[in-house]
Amino acid sequence: MISVTPNALSDSPNKIDLSNMKPEQIALDIKGLNLHYGNKQALQDITMSIPKGQVTAFIGPSGCGKSTLLRCINRMNDLVDICKITGEINLHGENIYGRHVDVAALRRKVGMVFQRPNPFPKSIYENVVYGVRIAGENNRRNLDDIVEKSLKSAALWNEVKDRLHESALGLSGGQQQRLVIARAIAIEPEVLLLDEPTSALDPISTLTIEELINDLKKQFTVVIVTHNMQQAARVSDQTAFMYMGDLIEYSDTNTLFTTPVKKKTEDYITGRYG
Amino acid sequence: MNNLNLGRHISGQFNEDLERMLNLVMHMGGLVEKQLNDSLTAVVDVNQELARDVLANDAQINSLEMSIDDECTRIIAKRQPAAGDLRLIMAIVKTIADLERIGDEAQKIAKVALEDFSSQQKDLLLNLDNLGRRVLEFLQLTLDAFTRMDVETAIKIHSTDGKIDREYEALMRQLMTYMMEDPRSIPQIMSVIWSARALERIGDRCQNICEYIIYFVKGKVVRHTRSEDMQNL
Repeated sequence: MISVTPNALSDSPNKIDLSNMKPEQIALDIKGLNLHYGNKQALQDITMSIPKGQVTAFIGPSGCGKSTLLRCINRMNDLVDICKITGEINLHGENIYGRHVDVAALRRKVGMVFQRPNPFPKSIYENVVYGVRIAGENNRRNLDDIVEKSLKSAALWNEVKDRLHESALGLSGGQQQRLVIARAIAIEPEVLLLDEPTSALDPISTLTIEELINDLKKQFTVVIVTHNMQQAARVSDQTAFMYMGDLIEYSDTNTLFTTPVKKKTEDYITGRYG
Repeated sequence: MNNLNLGRHISGQFNEDLERMLNLVMHMGGLVEKQLNDSLTAVVDVNQELARDVLANDAQINSLEMSIDDECTRIIAKRQPAAGDLRLIMAIVKTIADLERIGDEAQKIAKVALEDFSSQQKDLLLNLDNLGRRVLEFLQLTLDAFTRMDVETAIKIHSTDGKIDREYEALMRQLMTYMMEDPRSIPQIMSVIWSARALERIGDRCQNICEYIIYFVKGKVVRHTRSEDMQNL
């Protein structure tokens, strides 16, 4: 006899109770994070835990702080002079804003892909192995393996395997973005940050990347910022809605898009914002 | 209390689409209510002409159901509604299916008025009147609650369906007594039984609509939940 519980179809098989996660389920633990750009406070007391091996989406209107929060996770905001950060982001229990943290090592663990594909003006092959070479790997056979594995993971291998030594700039926008993802995962990070990764792509390339994100979460923890709410609904397991620097609501994606608790969330996702 | 909050979308066209669709649902509800009222009058007054009108008018309800269904599909495809908007569309799709079936039940009742009853047996039909009027009132209250998406009233109506069930059972016992007393009247009494059954089913469908109202407003699925447990929503 088949037993079907009421939510058997709607709940994802790896649904996590966000309010009650075990330490081993947490990839990133953000505690009381505040960020100021000069006198302007861009993030206010953000506290949230991002589960391991899942896709977490940040949504919200422009200027709400979602990209700022994403950039905090691999300390990209360190490059902004007037930026001041307090609070903690713990990766495996270690605060990435701790005094002795090696930022370059952190960025190897937390990879990032941006809105516009930014391949280097080199061959496809050299793009993928760029970070690995910096990390000291020069063995040709190992590099070949990494290129094949990364391009396969990024769902690009079949399209480029016969022209690995041609310029990456000759690829289409969607292919370039997948190449950038391959470059990011070649160094085997633990967390992959995606900052609006499909906003410059056509709908078909977007679907390919979304499918890829679903595959990537088997190996990495993925955090994505997107302006496209339907995309957040399609690809993520958890969604956080942010508004004016505050984290308004953070829950599993199914709940947030069908029965949000906060009125601000409801207004935003139903297009009543403004 | 009115929980409908259709306006305020950035897209004025979306507001208009939702409003137009809700107006169609209310129009459909009004037609269904009239069909039930007419079918009961046709049975109690043995008015065959009115019964034939009920049978003919059902097509209008069916076509409205299809139009609203199309409209909902179009809105889902074009607007990809979420949260309250999505729950509203889902509530509408399910409500119109129940309304259409209530229309069918009204048709079944009207068909009884077209059967041949001897003057003696016509008294049997009067037995349907009490139950029928209660169900009609139940339907009116349900449609009223739907129009305002009034969850308190929906919960209250939901819990009173038991009264209809009890009245239906009492009528059944009475009709069975008639059958035992006069077996020759069994074919006619069976028709009355089918009508009573149709009325009881309309009560159940009103209860379904109340559940959709609760789903839309509270975001909670209360199907297969006892009325007592709904008070804590």
